[in-house]
Amino acid sequence: MSMPSNQVRRRLFITLLVGLFLFAGLLARLGYVQLVEGNWLNDKARDLWTRDIPFEGKRGRILDRKGEVLAYNISSPSVLAIPAQIEDPAKTARELAHILMAPEQNIYRQITKKQLIVRLQPYGRKISNERAQSILERRLPGIVVAEDNRRHYPQGSLAAHILGFAGIDNQGLAGLELVYDERLSGTRGHVSFGANAKGERLPGGVDRYTPPEDGMDLVLTLDKNIQAIVEREMDQAMAQHDPENVLAIAMDPDTGEILGMGSRPTFRPDNFRNVDPEVYNRNLPIWRTYEPGSTFKIITLAAALEENKVNMKEAFHDPGYVKVGGARLRCWKGGGHGSQTFLEVVENSCNPGFVNLGQRLGKEKLFEYIRKFGFGQKTGIDLNGEAKGILFKPKQVGPVELATTAFGQGVSVTPIQQVTAVAAAVNGGELMEPYLNKAWKDPETGEVLEKTKPNVKRQVVSEETSKKVRYALESVVARGTGRRAFIDGYRVGGKTGTAQKVGPDGRYLKNNHIVSFIGVAPSDDPELVVYVAVDNPKGVQFGGVVAAPIVRNIMYDSLRYMGVEKRKKQIPPEKIPTSQPIVTVPDLIGENVSRIRNSLYDTPLQVSGKGEVVINQAPKPGERVEKGTPIRIYLGDK
Amino acid sequence: MPKPRNAPDVVIIASILALLTIGVIMVYSASAAYSYDKFGDSFFYAKRQMLFAALGVFLMLLISRIDPELFYRWAKPSLWICFALLALVLVPGVGMVRGGARSWLGIGAFSIQPSEFMKLAVILFLAQYLTSNARENQTLTKGIVIPLSIAGAAFALIMMQPDLGTGTVLMGTAFVLIFAAGARLKYLLGLCLLGVAGFAGLVLAAPYRIQRITAFLDPWQDPLGAGYQVIQSLFAIGPGGLMGLGLGMSRQKHLYLPEPHTDFIFSILAEELGFLGAGTAIILFAVLVWRGLRVAIRVPDMFMALIATGVTAMIIIQAVINIGVVTGSFPVTGITLPFLSYGGSSLTLTLMAVGLLLNLSRYTK
Repeated sequence: MSMPSNQVRRRLFITLLVGLFLFAGLLARLGYVQLVEGNWLNDKARDLWTRDIPFEGKRGRILDRKGEVLAYNISSPSVLAIPAQIEDPAKTARELAHILMAPEQNIYRQITKKQLIVRLQPYGRKISNERAQSILERRLPGIVVAEDNRRHYPQGSLAAHILGFAGIDNQGLAGLELVYDERLSGTRGHVSFGANAKGERLPGGVDRYTPPEDGMDLVLTLDKNIQAIVEREMDQAMAQHDPENVLAIAMDPDTGEILGMGSRPTFRPDNFRNVDPEVYNRNLPIWRTYEPGSTFKIITLAAALEENKVNMKEAFHDPGYVKVGGARLRCWKGGGHGSQTFLEVVENSCNPGFVNLGQRLGKEKLFEYIRKFGFGQKTGIDLNGEAKGILFKPKQVGPVELATTAFGQGVSVTPIQQVTAVAAAVNGGELMEPYLNKAWKDPETGEVLEKTKPNVKRQVVSEETSKKVRYALESVVARGTGRRAFIDGYRVGGKTGTAQKVGPDGRYLKNNHIVSFIGVAPSDDPELVVYVAVDNPKGVQFGGVVAAPIVRNIMYDSLRYMGVEKRKKQIPPEKIPTSQPIVTVPDLIGENVSRIRNSLYDTPLQVSGKGEVVINQAPKPGERVEKGTPIRIYLGDK
Repeated sequence: MPKPRNAPDVVIIASILALLTIGVIMVYSASAAYSYDKFGDSFFYAKRQMLFAALGVFLMLLISRIDPELFYRWAKPSLWICFALLALVLVPGVGMVRGGARSWLGIGAFSIQPSEFMKLAVILFLAQYLTSNARENQTLTKGIVIPLSIAGAAFALIMMQPDLGTGTVLMGTAFVLIFAAGARLKYLLGLCLLGVAGFAGLVLAAPYRIQRITAFLDPWQDPLGAGYQVIQSLFAIGPGGLMGLGLGMSRQKHLYLPEPHTDFIFSILAEELGFLGAGTAIILFAVLVWRGLRVAIRVPDMFMALIATGVTAMIIIQAVINIGVVTGSFPVTGITLPFLSYGGSSLTLTLMAVGLLLNLSRYTK
């Protein structure tokens, strides 16, 4: 028997305190986990307790302005696995591999993952309905077929750069599919049910169905028919001139709506994986920057007119060059244009004449207008990858820079900037923001949910100036360098451009030009601006020869399609040896064929059918055609 | 030996019965899904737990009436018997493997864990040894080296099973006894450093222990691997909140937590009965600490004081580690929660140990 010493008692007391302290600590920790972290843990745990089977919302369609479908979805189910529910992984893998024509090992590895839900990549994604059906028929435990969609572009490569494309998860990856991804894609829904760790349904667990929300339909400003015309002409140009690339833009100058736009080389959106990313990433009409060349003279002209620095009837003498700050800037025409009015300066695209206009404006004013017309900044079109272009900084501008800028050299601009600037020059002076998104529609009801209003950025020049510019441009086509864009009755105005390209060493490349033409029609009330640029065409490298006919073709078909009235009054085209006079087609219907042969000896006829009397003819009576155009007559008996 | 002065401590009896009640209910609730899945009988574990609780309480009351003099005499023989059993359990074919450790002796359901009995034997022996050499407890040899060597030998045998949890409790209890008996603080400090080094060595020897430690520091690093158990436990405790989800409403017991009725019973308790329920259990353990050490301080005899200390220390160390593990405060160690976790051998033994405590509580001043 021995009494515990006081020291022992003291130590027991310490032990007691330590023990109580430990439990107090545990109580605090428990309180922290339950009362402070509780909600956070609960949220994290919810994912564990419920199994979600996703239901994809349908991605909105993309339509042209008339409702033609440019992109839509095809039902294309995907296979999901819930590994915990799979009873016989080997057998399941074998059967799935057979149906999906996939390597068995790949499937086995995926369905045995330690994961709640596995998407079978890539063999189980976007499969055909037939395969989905045969998977469903096997009733494989733990294998679910979920509704999914594949993006389809029914028009092939039409407007490829504008539409862009969506990836495997229906996520927008490029073009408008990317820009408007959020609104196109809608929200994903799912069915969730409570489950134990085996993935089996928990007793009393409530199934919740959260329906997916479909994306909205996007209506574009594009017109499928105009786009098709643009695409056709670009293909034609590629075949005819074998250039490095071609680009074209068609815009409504009053609103800034893009009616057609594209470039070559192009691609098919549903085949983007097999295409060089450079092709689909470079949307040339908004991405490419280069010296515009003479099309830029429209800006100089508009600025000079607005500032009252020039009268179009004023005389100007061009000796073939102009001396500026010791440098000798040549006109494109050897020997020069001699004496001419300023209207003729524009018609002839005479460089010394525009240098003179630039000098009259001075560098402050000229550059002020260049900026006001939108150069040096993005136009704000609703696409990614737009470039800003480069302008001289005010400090760098000496007499030479001023002079070259006046005729379109030494500045770097994008095609879309040129189109919007010229549109502003001819539409009454308003700089518009170009756009592609015309409206959003409810996919079910077709009801218009939201409409884009044209956005006027600023008034750049007056209606008065605009009118003069339109007249000058029409004159360029009727009598000057733009003759090949002439269309009788549509009053086409325009301007050629031949821009030198800057090589990697910073010098101009030899015999390598971007030739372009910008056309406007009809000149009394422009409804269409078309710009075409052909990069390094083989053969003649001159905008008036290569690009003008392309613009003419696009204009002609588009204006007819748009139902634009032919005008009676127009600047009469100057007769040049290569162009035939325009005549009105006579009315031959009902005439006797032998009489026609006698009276119309100078008109070539093509005869179809048999008989004595003309029952129909093409072109129709009253149409205006070049003299010498054959008329087809259809014969029959009365 | 003096005569008993009073009746056994009713506070201890009351808190033990409260803990046992909570335990049986929670074993039922936690194991119903699991045991139905495994045995087709949702009461399988609950029935056995009640049986062992009854047996344990019977043994507890029996032991509380034995003359403490006998404990003094039994101390050495019971230690040797336990050493023999511990050696026997390591023999393949004799000891049974459950949960990765060869720690069971016996046939089928009638099996015991010698390591559980060893804890009690070490307490008895150290109490006896440290009392008989009370004057030399300040020396290094008799105060520290010899008692520690005995405990260390038992620890080594337990670690060969291996069972880090039980081994840790045993060494912790031995340390408390040596401390209480009056060993010099500078020796104890050295011992602590040695213990830390030894523990580090053990951890480094078995890679899974490293994983468990890193998992405890940041369980979200590897939520499906090393951090799995801690996260699953926190997913039970956290959502429980103040009031809990209600009895039987645990979601985590549905096969997310491995064997929710043993090591992780506290998580299910916290999930179903909330902070109020789980906090009550912690407070009941705290009451045991207080009443147990109160007995130790008030008994008139050094041997009695040390036994009361050892029993209390054994129970609270185990409880602290278990609750610490499931709340993510300590590294994961396989250890049961006294009175609450399912487990016949451990429950019976713990109740027998409480019997010792009750016995001694009759002698308090």
